Amino acid sequence: MKSLIKTLSNGILRANPTFILLLGLCPTLAVSTSIDNAFGMTGSVLFVLLAANVIISILRRWIPDRARIPTFIVIIATLVTIVDLALKAYVPSLSKSLGMYVPLIVVNCIILGRAEAFASKNNVIHSIADAVGMSVGFGVAILLISFVRQVLGSGKLEVFNVQLFSIPGLDSNPAAIFLLPMGAFFVIGVLLALFRWMGVSECE
Amino acid sequence: MAKQRGSLYPIVFLTVVVFLSVVSLTLMDQMTREKILIAQQSEIQEMLSTLFPNLETFQYDEDSGLYTILANTATIGQAQMLQAGGYGGAIDILLGIEPDGRVRGIRIISQQETPGLGAKIIESQFLDQFAGLSVNEIALNRDGGSVDAITGATISSRAVVEAVAETVRDSFEQGGGE
Repeated sequence: MKSLIKTLSNGILRANPTFILLLGLCPTLAVSTSIDNAFGMTGSVLFVLLAANVIISILRRWIPDRARIPTFIVIIATLVTIVDLALKAYVPSLSKSLGMYVPLIVVNCIILGRAEAFASKNNVIHSIADAVGMSVGFGVAILLISFVRQVLGSGKLEVFNVQLFSIPGLDSNPAAIFLLPMGAFFVIGVLLALFRWMGVSECE
Repeated sequence: MAKQRGSLYPIVFLTVVVFLSVVSLTLMDQMTREKILIAQQSEIQEMLSTLFPNLETFQYDEDSGLYTILANTATIGQAQMLQAGGYGGAIDILLGIEPDGRVRGIRIISQQETPGLGAKIIESQFLDQFAGLSVNEIALNRDGGSVDAITGATISSRAVVEAVAETVRDSFEQGGGE
């Protein structure tokens, strides 16, 4: 039980995929322009990572060593395609704004990395804990980045078409640079430094 | 991990995995195909009805790519999809044309322009300028037309304007609407 909690919290703090492992940064930088996107991406990653970890963990005794990476890729690609089709069918607007980045989850290093480093060596329960921890860690990170970028880049915070607040002055003349790719690098750089300074990322 | 098995084992295993993957994807495709089509269809219908509020039905001609907008079985205009080469990639545009060959209006279906600059082509401030233009008015102000470019996004603005102008010119030469 104790090790389970440790596995779970690992993904959120000590081995946060975005802020500490620095994995899967490409989709993180690309879609973190709004909180809505961040939620959509987190949900998609949670589903794919959870399902991939479970399947790979169950199959781990039968997966041939030499063919393990192709096996992982086929499993992950199948899951991602399922998510992509489901999004297109049931939430077309979200599917549109996530665009290319859902299919790109296939090559997201978080998922392949966890399959290789964790699910193929641990039992199903621990793999589930790992998947949930990693997804929550990814979600917290991408939500934080999106929050900063959306607030500074548009001057207001709008979540699922509900405006939560707007900053007078900034909303009429927003710092659109934060919505550009370079703004993503600024924000993630500052947040990384902040996490390190707060000692969250005291690595072993 | 796996114990020593015959050298054919990886091949057999991967074949099985791929087979299962194909089966599940086929099932998923069957479950969602219709819903995706309906979603796309209703999106087109919604887009068309922002251009033609009186729209009752529309007909789509696959050869010419023209949507004919009908109300009370009379044609009240035509619409078609076109693509412009923007700054950040392709811009998909829906163009509505009045029966007399003037522009009814345009809508941006998808674009990847720079947020805060080129992406302003989706705002009504830019789009509304197209309503009622005739073929030789469709150009940027600085090119002698009557469309104001978006500040800092001349490339995106011009891409849209030129794609629209070209399409309207083509359909005008073919006899200008019905």
